[in-house]
Amino acid sequence: MTLQLLFDALSLGGIYAIAALGIALIFGVMKLVNFAHGQFIAFAVFALIVPSTDAVAVMGLGAAPALVLVPAILAVGAGLAVASEYLVFRPLRNASPVALMVASFALGVVIQNGLLVAYGGRPKAISLWPELGKPVALLGAEVPMLQIIVIVSVLVVLALLAVMLKRSRIGLEMRAAAEDFGMARLLGVRANAVIAGAFALSGALAATVALVLVAQTGVADVRMGGQIMLVAFIATVVGGMGSLPGAVAAGFALGAASVALQAALPIEARPFRDAFLYGLVILVLLLRPQGLFAAASAKPRV
Amino acid sequence: MTEHQARKLASLTTPLLLIALLAVFVLLVGAFGDRSLGRMAAETLIRVTLVVGFWIFVGNSGVVSFGHAAFACVGAYVSAWVTLKPEMKTLLLTGLPDWLAQAEWHVLPAAVAAGAVAAVLALVTGAAILRLSGIAASIATFAFLAMVNTIWANWTPVTGGTSSVVGLARYVSPWVGLGWAAAAIVVAAVYATSASGLALRATREDEVAASASGIDRYRHRLAAYTVSAFFCGVGGALMGHFIGVINPDGFYLSLTFLMLAMLVMGGIGSLSGAVVGVLVVSIAVEGLVRLEKGVTLGATEIALPAGSQEILIGLAMILVLIFRPAGLLAGRDLSLPAAWVAGRAKTTK
Amino acid sequence: MMSKLGVFDLSVRYGKLTAVNDISFSVAEGERVFISGPNGAGKSSLLAAIAGEVRAAHGRIEMDGDILSGRVPEAIARRGLSMVPEGRRIFRALTVQENLMVGVGLRRDKTAVPDDLEAIYAAFPILGTRRHANAGALSGGQQQMLAIGRALMTNPKLMLVDEPSLGLAPRVVDEVYDRLCSLQAQRGLTLVIVEQSSARAGRVGGRMLLLRGGRIVADGDATAFAADDLLKEAYFGEATP
Repeated sequence: MTLQLLFDALSLGGIYAIAALGIALIFGVMKLVNFAHGQFIAFAVFALIVPSTDAVAVMGLGAAPALVLVPAILAVGAGLAVASEYLVFRPLRNASPVALMVASFALGVVIQNGLLVAYGGRPKAISLWPELGKPVALLGAEVPMLQIIVIVSVLVVLALLAVMLKRSRIGLEMRAAAEDFGMARLLGVRANAVIAGAFALSGALAATVALVLVAQTGVADVRMGGQIMLVAFIATVVGGMGSLPGAVAAGFALGAASVALQAALPIEARPFRDAFLYGLVILVLLLRPQGLFAAASAKPRV
Repeated sequence: MTEHQARKLASLTTPLLLIALLAVFVLLVGAFGDRSLGRMAAETLIRVTLVVGFWIFVGNSGVVSFGHAAFACVGAYVSAWVTLKPEMKTLLLTGLPDWLAQAEWHVLPAAVAAGAVAAVLALVTGAAILRLSGIAASIATFAFLAMVNTIWANWTPVTGGTSSVVGLARYVSPWVGLGWAAAAIVVAAVYATSASGLALRATREDEVAASASGIDRYRHRLAAYTVSAFFCGVGGALMGHFIGVINPDGFYLSLTFLMLAMLVMGGIGSLSGAVVGVLVVSIAVEGLVRLEKGVTLGATEIALPAGSQEILIGLAMILVLIFRPAGLLAGRDLSLPAAWVAGRAKTTK
Repeated sequence: MMSKLGVFDLSVRYGKLTAVNDISFSVAEGERVFISGPNGAGKSSLLAAIAGEVRAAHGRIEMDGDILSGRVPEAIARRGLSMVPEGRRIFRALTVQENLMVGVGLRRDKTAVPDDLEAIYAAFPILGTRRHANAGALSGGQQQMLAIGRALMTNPKLMLVDEPSLGLAPRVVDEVYDRLCSLQAQRGLTLVIVEQSSARAGRVGGRMLLLRGGRIVADGDATAFAADDLLKEAYFGEATP
């Protein structure tokens, strides 16, 4: 029972952490709170199926073997994010963070309704890797195979990202730009390359969330991604705006809080779980307006 | 009369001009429009109430709120709770306390109560949210919106959950809308020229001054947030009594988007921007809705797919942000020229 | 011979405020030029405009005959100009070594990077010992050395240094200038240094431009200036509008 809760918390927290990273990365380099991130996730979900307004989903890319499918979907997410940067955010490079945020909200609405036009408004059932739903026995608990895969992939993604940020040139440039973009440019760091890189990574992270969501829920819905994006926002605020380790830590913390609330709340209160979660977060921020993990941002581990 | 006095007097003409503009709009639609245009006029004036209320906070503080649709939601349900027939309530909303279930108020006090409850909610939640800095506060308002939506969609005995509450008295004519829109405009203009409004706008424009007056800024923000929520609450009630049916999702992301689009396109910097933004976007939406329903041009019927309305408004919003970042009115207010006002004041003396 | 840096009729404005007013001067290859003057004279704005951080309202900037004005900062950096900015602007969350490495992305001679890094550590041994520490943990003087080392790692031909003595103890300032001068001699660098203290500039030696109200009011030998009482009076006297 407790072990099962631990797995739930890890897998949910992992998804939140990946989504929060996608938001914190972009916020770090260009102070944009990307309200279109949830729609990046939804777009990657729908990229799996053939566009049609029919009730039944026909797998397109989703029918491909995982070895092709996973990189292709990551590329779709990255491509959408880079295109958004080029078309919407680059012309707004010198705009205020508020204008950027409002523009991203509008972009999200455009993407979501674009999906609505192409795929129709009703949720569609799609089954991606159904064989992963089977439970396996692990340390005396029955855990769905999928959950283990999710946890492992989340850890792999986090590790890859950490190595990339720590060891690669673009990673170093991103971290420098996140701290002082003007100074980085004075040292010859190309603003366009760094920002496009951050968007590409963020889009690929959104696509990762999309794959996990589809595999877990078996549904494609134009509204999906919204709730996760909100939790991810909260994680970036709680983690100290723009701090990547803070975002990851806060993502896992919110996942754990969410699972704990689900277990602790009486049955009739469970539908309100997210409301409790948001309320809890506002409460936490009252006590520490600079974010729970703000101190950690001074010495990032990634 | 000094130049300063003349300017102050000229700024007082802004709300009058805006109300006159809306009155002309209602009269024109009444004289030349069909029934569906009349409905569009009423809806537009409700939106003016909502967006002017929204502007009182966003325009003066410079902090974008994503939470104001939640105040409209609360307002709409408060008005439904106190005005619906008791038989309806015992059937639909079984969890209401007795005094609410039996209440049968007139629509006007109901609208005021809707605004008041929204204002109290704003005061309480704003006390927490507005302690955060600009962007974090915006995110927190978004969390607040989601929180209210989650509660309303699941608190079935009291809100009816995701199933709609029906049977609200449909009393909102263009003239009722105009009355509330005028009230919102007057209060917004008064607030903007009050000590609190001026102080708040000063902090919006100057970050140094803002940090120097941190505590005051918080108080003024909270004041603006509360007043602002009142009119959004009223606007929500009016929306309910305009359509006759309410549902939590009617007061969620689409409404947030529409309110933001109107404000941004008109220009966040001025009250006139808010009003003009509503007019422009409403007229565009009306055109697009007709296109989505289908228009017969000769032998061919053209219909835009559902969703294209939001796509086009979203694109328009992005283009405005890129090419005219201060909005259509660029932060200016409609007002009579100061010299003219000064001249009039002399002749009346 | 073509000058290393040429500034022609340059003006910088912030709104209605004119920070740099129609300035022209040139700097020869290998020269050391101090820019001095009271607060608000436009010294930092001048450097920011040359580095491309601030857009000039009017005028032209050339380096080796190549026009810099209108280019973005990263493009200017890639032409061999490097900046040690006011307040040092160290990347505090990065390690010392990472700070040094940020600017090497623009270099074509990547194979020379390890040797250059060792040369920086030889010139500033404290940076070598603390190479894996967070830069935010360094003292002010150490951060100044890091900022200089970071600028040098781009292998510049021309280096702009803004107020290297700001907030440092006099003994540390001496050390910073010693290193700067010996590095300049080793590498044949051209240096443009903003230095508020004309006495300090005079002791280090070089050419001096005196700025006041956004204009150059004097141009000559720094040591001679430092000894000139009349000039000091003009310097500390009432500002003319």
